[in-house]
Amino acid sequence: MKNSKENLITLAEYLVEFGRKKGADEIEVSILQENEFNVHIRMKEIESLVEAHSKKLQIRIIKDKKIAVSTSEDFSQEILENLISTTLERAKISNPDDFIGLPEKQELKVDLDSLNIYDSKILELSPEEKINFAVQIERIALMDKRISNSHGVTFGTKEIERILVNSKGFEGQYSETVFSISIGLQAEKKGEKVDGFWYCAKRHFGELDKPEEIAREAVRRTVRQLGARKVKTQNVPIILEPIITAELLSFLFTCVSGISIYRKSSFLVDKLGEKIANDSINVIDNGLMRGKLGTRPFDNEGMLTRKTYAIKRGILENYLCNSYSARKLNLKSTGNCTGRGVGPNNFYLVPGKKSQEEIIKSVDKGLLVTRTIGHGFNPVTGDISRGAFGLWIEKGEIAYPVSEITISGNLGRILKDISIIGNDIDFRSHYAGPTIKIEEMTVGGI
Amino acid sequence: MNISKFFERFGLCKSDIEKILDFALSKGGEFSELFLEHRICKSIIMEEGIIKESSENIIYGAGVRVFSGDSIGYGYTNDLSMESLKKVALTSASISKNSSGLKIKQLSPLKISKSLYSVSNPFHKEKILNKFEFVKRVYNSAKNYDSRIKNVRIYLEDEIQYVLIANSEGLIVSDERPLVKIICISVAEKNGRRDYGYFGGGGRVGIEYFKDKYTPEKIGEQASQEAILLLDAREPPAGEMPVILAPGHSGVMIHEAVGHLLEADFNRKKTSIFWDKMGQKVASSQVTVYDDPTIPNFRGSLNVDDEGTIPKKTLLIENGILKGLLQDRLSSKIMKMPLTGHGRRQNYKFIPIPRMTNTYVEKGEYSPEEIIKSVKKGFYALKYQGGQVEDSGKFTFSVSLGYLIEDGKLTAPVKQATLIGTNIDILNKIEMVGCDVEFGMQTGTCGKNGQSVPVTDGCPTIKISRMTVGGRK
Repeated sequence: MKNSKENLITLAEYLVEFGRKKGADEIEVSILQENEFNVHIRMKEIESLVEAHSKKLQIRIIKDKKIAVSTSEDFSQEILENLISTTLERAKISNPDDFIGLPEKQELKVDLDSLNIYDSKILELSPEEKINFAVQIERIALMDKRISNSHGVTFGTKEIERILVNSKGFEGQYSETVFSISIGLQAEKKGEKVDGFWYCAKRHFGELDKPEEIAREAVRRTVRQLGARKVKTQNVPIILEPIITAELLSFLFTCVSGISIYRKSSFLVDKLGEKIANDSINVIDNGLMRGKLGTRPFDNEGMLTRKTYAIKRGILENYLCNSYSARKLNLKSTGNCTGRGVGPNNFYLVPGKKSQEEIIKSVDKGLLVTRTIGHGFNPVTGDISRGAFGLWIEKGEIAYPVSEITISGNLGRILKDISIIGNDIDFRSHYAGPTIKIEEMTVGGI
Repeated sequence: MNISKFFERFGLCKSDIEKILDFALSKGGEFSELFLEHRICKSIIMEEGIIKESSENIIYGAGVRVFSGDSIGYGYTNDLSMESLKKVALTSASISKNSSGLKIKQLSPLKISKSLYSVSNPFHKEKILNKFEFVKRVYNSAKNYDSRIKNVRIYLEDEIQYVLIANSEGLIVSDERPLVKIICISVAEKNGRRDYGYFGGGGRVGIEYFKDKYTPEKIGEQASQEAILLLDAREPPAGEMPVILAPGHSGVMIHEAVGHLLEADFNRKKTSIFWDKMGQKVASSQVTVYDDPTIPNFRGSLNVDDEGTIPKKTLLIENGILKGLLQDRLSSKIMKMPLTGHGRRQNYKFIPIPRMTNTYVEKGEYSPEEIIKSVKKGFYALKYQGGQVEDSGKFTFSVSLGYLIEDGKLTAPVKQATLIGTNIDILNKIEMVGCDVEFGMQTGTCGKNGQSVPVTDGCPTIKISRMTVGGRK
C-alpha cells in the first residue's frame, strides 16, 4: 500500500533518532517509493501488463569512522529497528577510514517546481490511453511492408518519491516522473534478418515524440541495415550518431569519476588541469537543467546538484565526486552521489554548429556508426573495442550498410581526434551528445 | 524443505494463498500464480588494506501473475498483508475481461527429493568476522603478488533466497537457494602504463568450496597475475583469421551464439534466426550443446525454477542438429511443447521468462595441444568481459586477454579484442572440438529484458576456422 509522504518522512526522522540513541555517530536514512506501470504490446496484442507499487529503505551508519550499510523492503518497525542495531554492530567491527562521513548540511535553495521533473499527468493517464499509445506505434510501424516482425512496443511510466534524512540535519524530498517508450522491429530480405530499435524517455508525457515519429524512426533505423556488407580492415574517419556519442560519454564518465581516480582505475589519473582533448571539447555535468532525465535537486547523500565542467576547452577541469571520493582526492563533492557510488546527472558534450549532413559530406571514405554491441571498454587504459553496425560513406554520401565489423580505438586518443561536433544534441538518457566526427579509428572486418 | 516454515516466513497460511489465487482468477483468467520471495544478501568490499563497506540487503515481496489467452497480467508488492495481496491479485486479474468462474485446484505440495545445493558449511550463516578474514586473505595474496600491483579490490557477496511458489493448478513448492560470489580486481602499474586483472569464484556452495581448488590465496594470485601479464600485452590483430577459444571462460561464446536464440520466447515470436530450423543442421557435426540446471552446486542450478517446475538437463544441439528449446510456462503453453524448467526471474518484481542456467559444449575428440598446433597464424581467446547477441544471430564477445598463435604455438599476450560473427555461420566454421570441457568462473550474470540472473557456461578448446577479430591497425 502507498504511504503518504508525511508518514515516510516521519518514519525516516524516527529511525535517524533511534540510530542516534543506539549510539551511531552519524546516520542517514533514505526512502524510495515507486509506482510502476508497464505494458508490452506485440503483434497488436497485450503480451504483458504490470502495475505495481514498491518501496525500499536504505540506512547508512557511521561509528568511530567505520561504516555499514543496509537496505530493506520490509517496512515493519520491528524489522527496521533490528536492522539499525545489527548495522551499528557491523559498523563497530569494521575498519576505520578517515575519509568516511556524511556531508555537512546544505540548505536547499532550488525551487522544485523550476526543475520541472514531475508531471501530474501520470495520475490522470488511464491504462487504456497508455495501451493505445503503444498499439498505435506498432500499428504504424507494421504498415511498412519491409518490416517482417516485431519485438514489440513497451510503454512504461514511473512515479518516484525520494526522501533523505540524516543526523547532520539534512531533510529533503522530491517527486519525479518518467514516461518511456521503446520499440524493436525486424526486417527480412532473402533470409537475412536485421534488428532495429528506438526509444524515447521524458519527464513529461507531452514531451514524448509523437507515435508516428517514433514508429517512422524505428522503421528507418531497421530497414537501412538491409543488404549489409562486410568491409576490409582499415583505418578511416568515423562518425558517431548522437546515441553512440552518448555511449562514448558514458565511458568518459567512468574515467572522470572520482572513484575510478582514487582507485587508479582510469587513464585520466593525475591529469587534472592538463589538456586531454581538442579545444572545441566542452563536457558538462549539470543536475539543474530544467526537465531533463538526470535533473534532481540534491544527490543521494544530500549534496546540492550543480553545473560542473568535466572538460573545458579541452582541459580536464574536474573529476566528478561524491563526498567520499572528494575527500580522498582533496577535492569538493560535485553532487554526483548515486546509489553508493558516483553517477551522472545530465552529462553531455556541448554541441557545435554543423548538421549531421554536413559532417557526412566532409568524409571521403569512412563509417557512420549507428549501433554498437558488446562490452569492450577498459577504463584503466581507455581502450575501446566493440561490435558495430553502420553505414559506409563514400565521397560524402551514404553508400551502403555494413555489419559484422568492429571499431577499435583509445578514448584518450579519440578525445584529441574529434574534429567536428554536430548541432543535433539529443537528451534521451543521463548521457547526451550530438553527432561527432573522429579523424581515425580502426574498422575491423575481413 | 519444510513448507510450513515458509508459510510462517511470509505470514500466510495455505488457505490465504488459495484465496489470493482465487481472487486472481475472479475476472476470467485461466491460470494464476503467486510468487513469494524473501532474500537476504550480504556484501563486503575491501580496498586499500581495509574493509571499506559491509552491507545487508533484505528483499521481500510477492508477485501475482494471471494468464488470459496469451496475455499476462502482473502485479507485485512489498506489503504481504491480505488486504494488499488481494488488491494486487485483482489488479493482475484485470488483464482478463470475461467473468468465467474458473476455480483453483486444491494445493498439494511438490516434494524435492534431493537438493542440488546441499552444503556442509553454509556461507550465509558464517560470522561476519570470519568473512572479513576470508576477504583479507584474498586481498593480501593479490597485493603481495608483485610490487607493481597498485590497487586491489575484493567484493564478497553471499545470499540466501527463500521462495514459495503456488498456482491455480494446485502446485505449491518452496526452495531455499544459497549463492556466493567472490571477485578480486587487481590494478597493475609500470612506467605509467596501467591495466587490470580479474578473477573470482563461487556458486551455490558452502565454505568448503574455498578450501581446495579455489583457495582465497589462489583467487588473489590469479587476478594479479593477469594484471601483470596485461602490462606487456600487445594491441590485438585486426581482420579475419583462425580463432581458438580456450576451455572454460569461452563458454560465453556458446551462451551468446546458441543459448539466447534457443530461449523459447524468441522462437515462438519467430524473431530468432533458429525458429524454423528445428531438426535441421545448424552447426558443424562436432558440436553438441546442453543446458543443464541440475549440476550440483553450480551458480545456475535450480531445484525448481521460478515457476515451480523441476528442471531437466536439456539437449539443444546434437552433432550439429538443432534439437531443443529452453521453455517457460507461457511459451510451452503457446507452442504446445513440454516444460524444461527454465522459467526464471530476477526477483518478485519481474515476470518469469525463459533463461539459461548452466550452458556448455559437450567434449569432442581432439587434444588441446593438437588443436593449437593446427594453426599457423591466428588468435587464442582466453578471458572475457562479456558478450551480446541479436535475434538475427549477430553476436560479439569482448576478449580482455588473449594470445597470438604463431606456428602452432601461443606467443605474445594480447589485450582488449572483440570477436564478431553471425551464429550459424560461425557454428559451421567450428573445425575442431577438444576433449577438455571446463566451466567458467562461477561469477557470471546474464541480462535479458532488463532482468539479471546467475548463470555459468563452459566448453572445451574449440577451433573456429575463420572469424573477424576487431583490433587496431
